Amino acid sequence: MRLKVSLFALTLGATVAAPMVQAHGIWFASRAKQLAIIYGIGADDLETVKRLPLIENVSAYDADYQPIKAATRVSGPVVLVDSDAQPTVVSAIMPYGVWSRVGDGEFEKKTLAEMPEATVSTKNVKYAVSIVGALTKPVPALPGQTLQIVPAGPIPATLGMPLKYQVLYNGKPIAGARMINDMINDPDAKEQITAADGTLTLPVRNQGLNVIRAVYDGPTDQPKLYKQIEHTATLSFTLAHLPE
Amino acid sequence: MKKTLALLLCLSALTSVSGAAMAHGLTKPQHGGVVQMNGETLFELVSSPAGVSLYVVDEDEPVSAAGMTAKLTVNAGGKRSEVAMVPAKGNQFTAKGVKLAKGASVAVQVVNKATQARYGTTFVIK
Repeated sequence: MRLKVSLFALTLGATVAAPMVQAHGIWFASRAKQLAIIYGIGADDLETVKRLPLIENVSAYDADYQPIKAATRVSGPVVLVDSDAQPTVVSAIMPYGVWSRVGDGEFEKKTLAEMPEATVSTKNVKYAVSIVGALTKPVPALPGQTLQIVPAGPIPATLGMPLKYQVLYNGKPIAGARMINDMINDPDAKEQITAADGTLTLPVRNQGLNVIRAVYDGPTDQPKLYKQIEHTATLSFTLAHLPE
Repeated sequence: MKKTLALLLCLSALTSVSGAAMAHGLTKPQHGGVVQMNGETLFELVSSPAGVSLYVVDEDEPVSAAGMTAKLTVNAGGKRSEVAMVPAKGNQFTAKGVKLAKGASVAVQVVNKATQARYGTTFVIK
């Protein structure tokens, strides 16, 4: 019994103190009025062109969530997304490999097979969805977005108003996803946890670009190579400023 | 006194610069259509018996249609259709004979031929 309690405490502790292996993520933002894919965190808008080979499934959808042909295009140091028609929603996926470490040591891009003494070994996958047009119906679970944040109500027009989000894992609401409200301007904010129905209500933070992040540690599908899969999802949208 | 005057001149210059930078104000239809803003780019869609026109104004300046391609993507009744628009005078693009049904969503996209830059928005026809 004592062993069971200890194991439970250990498991609980591990969950609460789950180390975030890769706080970086991908999101969509406007660059010179063009839709760009950004990799980084906070004000660190990092080199995306060299990471472009990692980016998969760049997709665009119309107002009825029917797919539109989309492709990436390198423009100088920026990766743009060109779609054949004006999209309402766009999405992308970036698998970021397996990272492992021993104790508090540095993470190395190694599997558990390559670092058998690792105490943390995680496969990282990053997802991004952006709402770039007015919504006429709720955003559905999109193909390939294993972890996805959707607005569970209308997006308000002004900052400070509450917005309920729902986090989906494999298309279903997931409890315990860790969220922050502004990956760009407040990346070190204390994470808040989604409720049993996968929802969390947050005030819309910016009268401009909003990038919300959710992280969920899912089970491994390759236990010999990594102990878990860290899914990092962003949802971005903008609030318009007043006419000047 | 000289210092005060210099400060006032300086503040005046700053105010002028700020005013010029914030001069984007065109958000109203100019051709009797409906307007949708995407950032500081204005799209005006005009339906008439002859067809559909699109006007594009970027940061209060008309966008020359001659340098762009334009396309309408219409979703109505579960069907999607695409219509290439033809550059007309100034910032106008036209699609003759096109009718837009109530409830249709109409995505418009213009592409700069030289830079491949894309601008667009989506209208819902009421």
